Amino acid sequence: MGHRTLLRTILATLATIALVVVGAAVDADAQKKGGVVRVGNLGEPPTLDAHWTTASITETLTNHIYEGLYTLDDDNKPMPMLAESLPAVSRDGLTYTFKLRRGIKFHNGKEMTSDDVVASLKRWSQQSIYGKDLFGYVTDLRAADKYTIEMKLKEKVAIVTINLGVANNFAAIYPKEIAEKFKPQDKVTEYVGTGPFKLVEWKPDRYIRMARFDDYKPRSEKPSGYGGAKIAYVDQIDWIPVPDVATRVAQMETGELDFADDLNADAFDRLQKSATARPIIAKMYYWLVAVLNKKEGLMTNQKLRQAWQAALDMEPIMKNVAGGRSEFYRMDYNLIHREIASWHVTMSGLPWNEHNKEKAKKLLQEGGYKGEPIRFMTTQEYKWMYDFALLTKQQLEDAGFTIDLQVVDWATLVKRRNNPKEYDAFTTGIGPQYDPTNSNVLSCSWPGWTCDEEIQRIKTEMIRETDYKKRFALWEQMHKVFYEKVPVIRYGDLFGLRAASKKLKGFNEKTERIRFYNVSIE
Amino acid sequence: MTTYLVRRLLALIPVMAVVVTTVFFIIHLIPGDPVSVMLGPDATTSQIEETRKAMGLDRPLYEQLVLFYTRILKGDLGRSYFLDRPVTTALWERAEPTIVLTLTSLFVAVAIGVPSGIIAAAYPGSAWDRVLMLGALLGVCIPGFWLSLNFIYLFAVRLGWLPAAGYASVLENPWAALRYMVLPAVSLGFNQSALIARISRSCMLEVLQQDYIRTARAKGLSQRVVVYIHAFRNALVPVVAVIGITMAILIGGAVVTEIVFNIPGLGRLIISAILRRDYPVVQGVVLVTAAAYVLINLAVDLVYGFIDPRIRYD
Repeated sequence: MGHRTLLRTILATLATIALVVVGAAVDADAQKKGGVVRVGNLGEPPTLDAHWTTASITETLTNHIYEGLYTLDDDNKPMPMLAESLPAVSRDGLTYTFKLRRGIKFHNGKEMTSDDVVASLKRWSQQSIYGKDLFGYVTDLRAADKYTIEMKLKEKVAIVTINLGVANNFAAIYPKEIAEKFKPQDKVTEYVGTGPFKLVEWKPDRYIRMARFDDYKPRSEKPSGYGGAKIAYVDQIDWIPVPDVATRVAQMETGELDFADDLNADAFDRLQKSATARPIIAKMYYWLVAVLNKKEGLMTNQKLRQAWQAALDMEPIMKNVAGGRSEFYRMDYNLIHREIASWHVTMSGLPWNEHNKEKAKKLLQEGGYKGEPIRFMTTQEYKWMYDFALLTKQQLEDAGFTIDLQVVDWATLVKRRNNPKEYDAFTTGIGPQYDPTNSNVLSCSWPGWTCDEEIQRIKTEMIRETDYKKRFALWEQMHKVFYEKVPVIRYGDLFGLRAASKKLKGFNEKTERIRFYNVSIE
Repeated sequence: MTTYLVRRLLALIPVMAVVVTTVFFIIHLIPGDPVSVMLGPDATTSQIEETRKAMGLDRPLYEQLVLFYTRILKGDLGRSYFLDRPVTTALWERAEPTIVLTLTSLFVAVAIGVPSGIIAAAYPGSAWDRVLMLGALLGVCIPGFWLSLNFIYLFAVRLGWLPAAGYASVLENPWAALRYMVLPAVSLGFNQSALIARISRSCMLEVLQQDYIRTARAKGLSQRVVVYIHAFRNALVPVVAVIGITMAILIGGAVVTEIVFNIPGLGRLIISAILRRDYPVVQGVVLVTAAAYVLINLAVDLVYGFIDPRIRYD
């Protein structure tokens, strides 16, 4: 073999290796475009106006159509979305300047500018709970130029980007014409956003159809949480309401659906054996609470609230609610989900899950309780709520309480819980809150009315304090006060069950809500 | 005949008025309100109050009733709180699936029920009779949703012959529509066929014992001619009445079937509307179903005349 031949062989080999390597790299990255994802969900959204409602189904759907200035990353911290970067804050902390990304188009072809952002945020500030909270501190919001917005604050607060970034009831940016045409209390009925998918058709009880928005410009960062590069691989998403949970499971098994949400834990085994689908445990779901009425009635008595807390043995309750499976629950006393790591506290000695009947009896006596019935509302529409209410009743009655369990439908429960005269306690679940100041169980304007002075003082300090370490110390203090005042009874964390087709690639299992960008079908 | 028809149609008005008013009060008197459901679990109390006001739900009930009646007289059933469209549009969209489901189930019910009843009656006490009537007993006893779920598991999940749930329009895609409709129609129809079978059997038995049948037999006519030509028509009147009732029941029974098989019909609409207190939609569906009920009854009464010429309308 001559030199030249040898050289040629080596070169050829190297070239081949290079091709293979490059090819493999491309292959690993190649998520195919095309296809339809059929998602089975519980029912119809009350609206596709993100500003209007806190309903989770609206949150899930609208986050595909619209975007806000900020969103949450893998660590549930704010990251820029339609804004170019995190805001520039003046030295006194009172002026925020937001720079917008340029060349972002709405689904109607119009370019997004600061006028659209100002009009949308104003509308959001009057209807959304997060908007109202934030704009309580805002004195002025204006467009400085085509791509710059300035926000002036009354005082220094720590909640600007987080409130602009939460995915629920979120600060979606609509075209100015739409944001101004629909009053905040009226639902928007023209759905135009900047998101990777656009709404094609909404046929109630049949489907909500979304299609890829071809003029979408993804960000350059890697996908993270709800943000970063969002790429629509699939041509179309069909959201199909399938109210019966057994039907949703069957349709996953037959391949009629590619994804199903809100399944019952008892379908887990069936899905594991399925040839077409696989189960996904939704790790951030709800922690269960019994919300106590602190405005009127028996539970205004702090001793009684402490007695309730002392009496409970929560593990058997949680285990039962989770269908006996340990994968579906977690014992935790934190007031924010453990997955939101920056707010996770580790404290010992809090009076949680004590299972101390004697202590409970003593507290009842000290509270002057004479066995009056305590009206505890729950509903069978959410089986887990009913289950934990029933077991709670049993345990509390063992400790000397008299519980009048009132089982009503969900619509009745959510209506009644706003009237302090109608109940003493009700069941619900608390989803992820991304900042302690957003917590509804610590809010004076949410049912149950946690208007306790000390809790509100700590909360206000946390809104004003911008230093994370100091905020965290306040948060630890909040836990102590919480377990002393007992505004609500915190049970364990419950997890949800979802199912995905085995053909579905790239689904982010870590986020609370399901998202179908960066997802493809094999 | 025409006078009879006009009189019956006029009698519809007070019936509908009673239905409408009753529904209005019942739905408004159950606790719960649409706003708290719509705004979601995290909404604050003040936000709920503001929105109630904006929607006019804080007004007194009688004012809302007057508004409701003035609208109905103009042919306007109001606007759904949830669906962002007029109730009439929503009803119109759901009418087709329910009509198709009701008619196909009725077809299944009659196709199974009438022949089973006749065969059982023609050979009373035979093995056929016993097997068929046992089937009818099962049909009455098995809950519809249980049967539906088992059908789905067997024919869709295990065997993969038919889709588990869903709906396609007959007008757009007849083949797909048929595939989707088989399981719901059979599970809904099977339940109802039982009643038809039992009624057909007893009516047939009664007729078969009458003198003219004995005469026909004595003339040497075959069993087939006696049963199908002579007896059948006379046994039919009560059967038609039952079929009419069945159809009305089917409209109601469609509720569960529509949920399980995910058929976007009126039954599913009313269930979700009740759960979320979408008052205009509930009122609209009840109004339309009640009208359908009354009209079916009228149609049944008219059909009698054709089957039995002795029945006269004066």
